[in-house]
Parts: sequence; structure tokens; C-alpha cells
Amino acid sequence: MKRTNVISVFLAACLILLVLGTGCTQQQAPSAQSGEVKIGVVASMTGAASTTGKDIWQSAELAADEINAMGGVRIDSLGKSVPIRLIQGDDESTREGGMKAVSKLITQDNVDLLVGGYSSAVVSAHQSIVAENKVPYIISGGSSSSVSHRNDLDTSYMFFHRPNTDDSGEASILFIDEVVRPAVNAKFGFPAERPLKVAVIYQDSPFGKGQLDAVKNVIKAKSLPIEVVAEEPFKMGESDFRTVLTSVKAKNPDMIYSVTFLNELVPLTQQARRDVNFNTLIMAIENNDDPDYYKGVGTYGDGMVMESRFSPYAVPKGSTEVATRQFLSNFDKKYGGFAGMMGAATYESIYIAKEAIEKAGSLEKAKVRDSLANLAMPQMMEIMKGGTIQFSPDFRESKFDLYVVQLSMDQASGEPRPEIVWPKNLEARGFVLPDWYTPGTS
Amino acid sequence: MDVSISILSQVAFWGLYSGCIYILLATGLNLIFGVMKIVNFAHGEFLMLGTYITFFLFVITGFNPYVLLIGSIPILIGIGVIVERLCFRPILGTGKLNEIFISLGLIYIFQNLVAMVWTDEWRSIKSPFADMTIDLGPLQLPLDYLIIIVVTIVILVSLYIFLQKTPIGKAIRATSQNRKGAMLMGIDVEKINMLTFGIGAGLAGAAGTLWAVSGQVFNPYMGSIPAIKGFAIIILGGLGSIPGAIVGGLAIGMVENFTAFTLGGSWKDAVSFILLIVVLVLRPTGLFGEEEE
Repeated sequence: MKRTNVISVFLAACLILLVLGTGCTQQQAPSAQSGEVKIGVVASMTGAASTTGKDIWQSAELAADEINAMGGVRIDSLGKSVPIRLIQGDDESTREGGMKAVSKLITQDNVDLLVGGYSSAVVSAHQSIVAENKVPYIISGGSSSSVSHRNDLDTSYMFFHRPNTDDSGEASILFIDEVVRPAVNAKFGFPAERPLKVAVIYQDSPFGKGQLDAVKNVIKAKSLPIEVVAEEPFKMGESDFRTVLTSVKAKNPDMIYSVTFLNELVPLTQQARRDVNFNTLIMAIENNDDPDYYKGVGTYGDGMVMESRFSPYAVPKGSTEVATRQFLSNFDKKYGGFAGMMGAATYESIYIAKEAIEKAGSLEKAKVRDSLANLAMPQMMEIMKGGTIQFSPDFRESKFDLYVVQLSMDQASGEPRPEIVWPKNLEARGFVLPDWYTPGTS
Repeated sequence: MDVSISILSQVAFWGLYSGCIYILLATGLNLIFGVMKIVNFAHGEFLMLGTYITFFLFVITGFNPYVLLIGSIPILIGIGVIVERLCFRPILGTGKLNEIFISLGLIYIFQNLVAMVWTDEWRSIKSPFADMTIDLGPLQLPLDYLIIIVVTIVILVSLYIFLQKTPIGKAIRATSQNRKGAMLMGIDVEKINMLTFGIGAGLAGAAGTLWAVSGQVFNPYMGSIPAIKGFAIIILGGLGSIPGAIVGGLAIGMVENFTAFTLGGSWKDAVSFILLIVVLVLRPTGLFGEEEE
């Protein structure tokens, strides 16, 4: 056989083994028999959201390592403490990938509990598998209200440790009304009652549409003097926003409200200032509060604002400060760098899982579910309503005190850094309209 | 919204820029198809490799990223030659299914190799001309995009001269027109295959460099969508036709951007394929394709 033919056969064999290998995983024993708590972590390890996926996985690992170092999870029915074993489920940043990963975690790996999930579109696609198999799932992403409020399937085993799009949309709009609008009107001599014109550029997904709906609903419900002058969707994973920005600029908004993943926000911000010469204020959503965003956006991020609940570089003063700094320091020691918001939420979710299993005293899924439903544990790093992590009785959502950061260039690192500018009780400094900012025409 | 001429010109300019990236990608794809008649779905991975090689050379040398075309094109030509020799030559003429599976396998191999070497984080590089604009009255055009358009024209003119005036270029054209005839005339068609595949990969590599220089982000999985668009363009323009790839690339670039401007960004991809369907219904051989005898 010629040498090239041998190489071809080898390559073909590798491919066949790769394909077959994925389908021939050995079925795992149930946890009670194997003496461990098996937690499936649903994260986008590959594909468009892989940067966030890595953050989710590493933070979960950090939490599990800490818990195991302290002796593991106490399970009364076993009469002993057992370690946590994490099993990675890569959703490949796609609906199909998520369904495949969750099916494998539940049916082959026999996990006791699931944690994670990022994109609302991806989470909504695998919710039916979770519902069917009745596995407790602490979802730290999937922020669209349409994911947690759906009534076409049984979501009673799903617990949402994140603000939904209604919560984050409301916080953002209140900030715009209370802070940005008066600042623009005062600086440019506009009448105080002049409405602020906002352009919404949003990912064409449940997450993006949920945010758009929330923004419009809050403005309408509270009769706020804010006018949405443009609603521009873009497809998930987009990296070329020049035409969309040109279209938005032609509508003369005073600011952009962007609903993006961080790999979308980086080019959007850069192209607005650099290519389209659009000197407007950009507001982003909490999932972008990530070291990779600050690194990627560079000088073009200067002056922008972001709704947040956990910031790697802006730690709120108060009862969560020590835990936050400890987490950031431990993460830095283990992985070299800081975690983002999704990492923090997943880290907390692992501790929530531990607390719920210990309170249940068993790994029985129904008991763990009931324990999660009745959970009331002290807040950790993210500031919770009432200082307690608990899930609402209606849709099993935890409730957060949200804040807004503003970015300014840090000459030492060459990257922008955030500071909390809203609300008053958390602010490190006041909001400042950038010098280069130009409002829409009055 | 007041739609002025300056805004429409601006959108046309973004369409022209997108078109340049598509043209380079589709021209390479069409060159390979014209000579070898193979379908390489991994062609977008050559673009992705071009972005990473540019990124790597930029980090270690600090050179102007446009100068790095001198590095990225030859490296991609080399990679193309190796891929043709090891993967496509052995299965040439054995059926389309083999070509499809080889190219699908190559997609995974390239994506995972790049993720292993450079991780799968989103990357970008900053051109030294990033903050410079050229004022043309109502139009303010970023310098980088003007350079990208000029560089694309230079590459296409060089390719035209190469194919028309050099003996190797003439041999490529002869092989493309009649493979058996070329063999009878003493042309080593296997070498021409290898070289053509290398040139095709090099053009995709150039597209990758220009993609990176324009400030767009990239990661190991970014090649799939441009590859699909590349295929749409060569079908639209006519399989094997380089003028077709140029006109098709420009058409897709323009249509995408004017669609994003009028209907919104989420329609961008759909309209490109609607255009493709319309052209195929009206002219099944594509805009510049010829009926097979």
C-alpha cells in the first residue's frame, strides 16, 4: 500500500474512533453507591461563548475543591461526608450541543444535580430533558424571563440563581432615568423634562428579546421620560456591527442600550467609536462584567456603563466584600487572573448545592429539590435582597440588589476599570458624562 | 430616520469592505474547485488560521499587521500544499462523499489544534491606523478599510497577472479547462493541484489577515460561517469562475449590509441565501458559470 494511502486510512480511522468514542461512554454508577456527590456543570466550553464557559467551569472547580478540602458534603442518610465530583457538560454554545450534554450528564453520568447554563436559547432547549428526568438544576445563566416563567413544561426542579431580564432591565432603565437623563440635559442645556432617546441593539435570542421587552415595559409602566428610538436586532455571534451602528446613528439617539454576549460587545463598542465615529454612551448588561471584556475592549471602553451584580474589579463595600476579595484572590492563585460575573454565580451555585444536599440529608432528587425550594442561606459575594439566598415561591428565582459601574481608563494596566456609580448606597463615585460624548439632536 | 446619500454611501462602503474579505475567500475556493473539482468545507479554517498566524506574528514581531501578509500568505500556501498532498490527493476521484468527510475532519482538526495552541478565547489585534480617518466631505472613512480595499485589489491584480502571464499560471488555467488535455501536453497536473490548493489557502490566509487587521474578533470556531458564505458566493457567481467570485463576493457584501440597514442585522444572512436561490432559479449555472457540454 502506498504511504499516502496508509496516512489516509489512519486519518479515516482516527475520525471514526472520534465519532464512535463520543457515543460509547461507560455508564456511571449512582452517587450513593460511589460515595460522592456528582454535579454536572453545563458550560459553553467550545463555540461562541467559550470564554464565559471556561469562567463557569473554573469557578465551579474552585468551589468544589474548597468544599472537598473542608471535608466534603455531609449526607445524613449515608452517615458520612462525601466529596463533590464535577462532570463537565460542554453545550458547545448551541441548543443541540446543550441537549446532548445534558442528556449525557443525566442518563450516562447519573449526576445528582446540575449547575450552570449560560445562553437563554441554549438553556431553554434542554429544559425539557431536565423536566422529564426530574433532576435538580441550579441555573446561573439563562436570564430571559421566558426561560424561568415558562408554563409549557414542569420547571419545578429548576432554580434560577440570577436576576431575570425584567430585573436587570428595570435596574438599567431606572439608572438611565435617575442619572443619565438629568446629566445629559444639564450638560447640554436641554429642558429638564426632555426625554432621553435610547437605541436598543439586542441579540436576536430569548435573552435579547427579554431585555428589549423589559426595557419597554418598565418605561411604559412607570411612564418614564425615555424614548426608544431604535430597536436593532443582530444574530448571535455577530462580529460586524458597522452597518447596524450606522443605521442607529442616523436615528440620533442619546445613548445605546446593548444586549450582547461579551464577544459581541467588544467589536460593537470598538466599531461604534473607531469606525462609525459614534460618540455616544453605551450601556451594557451584567454578563459582560468579565476580565476578558476589559482586556478586549481597550481604550474604546472608556466612559461606558454596565449594569452588574458582580464585578471583578469593582467590589462593593459592605458585608460581601471580604468573601468577594477572598474568591478573587483564590481564583487568581489557582488560574492566574480574575473570574467574571458568570463565574461568581456558578461558584455560589456549587455552595447552594452543598447547602441544599446537607439540609436534605440525602441525595434523593425529590428531597434535594424540596430543600432548594425551602433554602435560606446567607448571601456570599453577590448582594441579595434581604441578605439571603432564597428562591421565590412562584418561579424559583433568587433576587439580587443590582448596581451600575462606569468604566474609565487605567493607565497602569492599559485597560478600562469599573467603579460603582449607582445606586447611592453602593456608589464609589458619581457618574460622569465623558468629554467626547455627543447627544442626539434635541 | 433621514436616509441621506452620505449614510447610504457609508453602508455601501461597509458592504465593499465585507465584499473584499468574501472575494478573497471565494476566489481561493473557486480556484481550487476549478482545477481539482473538489469541495473543501474546511476552507473557512484557512481564514481562521490566517487570523491566528497574523496574531502570532504581530505579538512576537510587533510589525505593522499589513506587512504580516508577507508571512501569513506563504505560511498558508505551505499549509495548503501539505493538506492537498496528505488529505485530498489520495481520495481525488474516489467520490464526493470522501471529500466531504475529509474536509469535515479537517475542520475539527484545525479548530482543536488552534484551541490547543492559542486557547479558544476571543482575540483581536489593533492596527496602528485604527484611529485614523479620511475625510471625504460628508463621508468619514476609516483608513484601515481603505487600505484593506486597496490590498484586496493588489492581490487580485497580482493573481490575474500570475494566471495570465506566467507559465505556471497558464498551466493552472489549462488544467482547469481540460485536465486530460493538460496531461497530454506534459503538464504535471498533480503538482498543479498542489500549487493551486496552496494558492487558494494563501488567499484565504490573506482574508484572515485583513479580517484581523480590521479589528474584528476571532476564535478557533469563527471559520464556519465565512466558509458557508464562500460557497454561496461561488455558486452565485458560477462554479470555477474567478470573475464570478469577485462579482458574487461584492454582491453578497452589499446585499448583507443594505439588508442589515433596512431590515435589521438578524436578516443579514437570510437575505444572502435568498439572493442565491433567486439567482439559481433564474440562472442555474450562476452569474458567470457556463453550461457543461
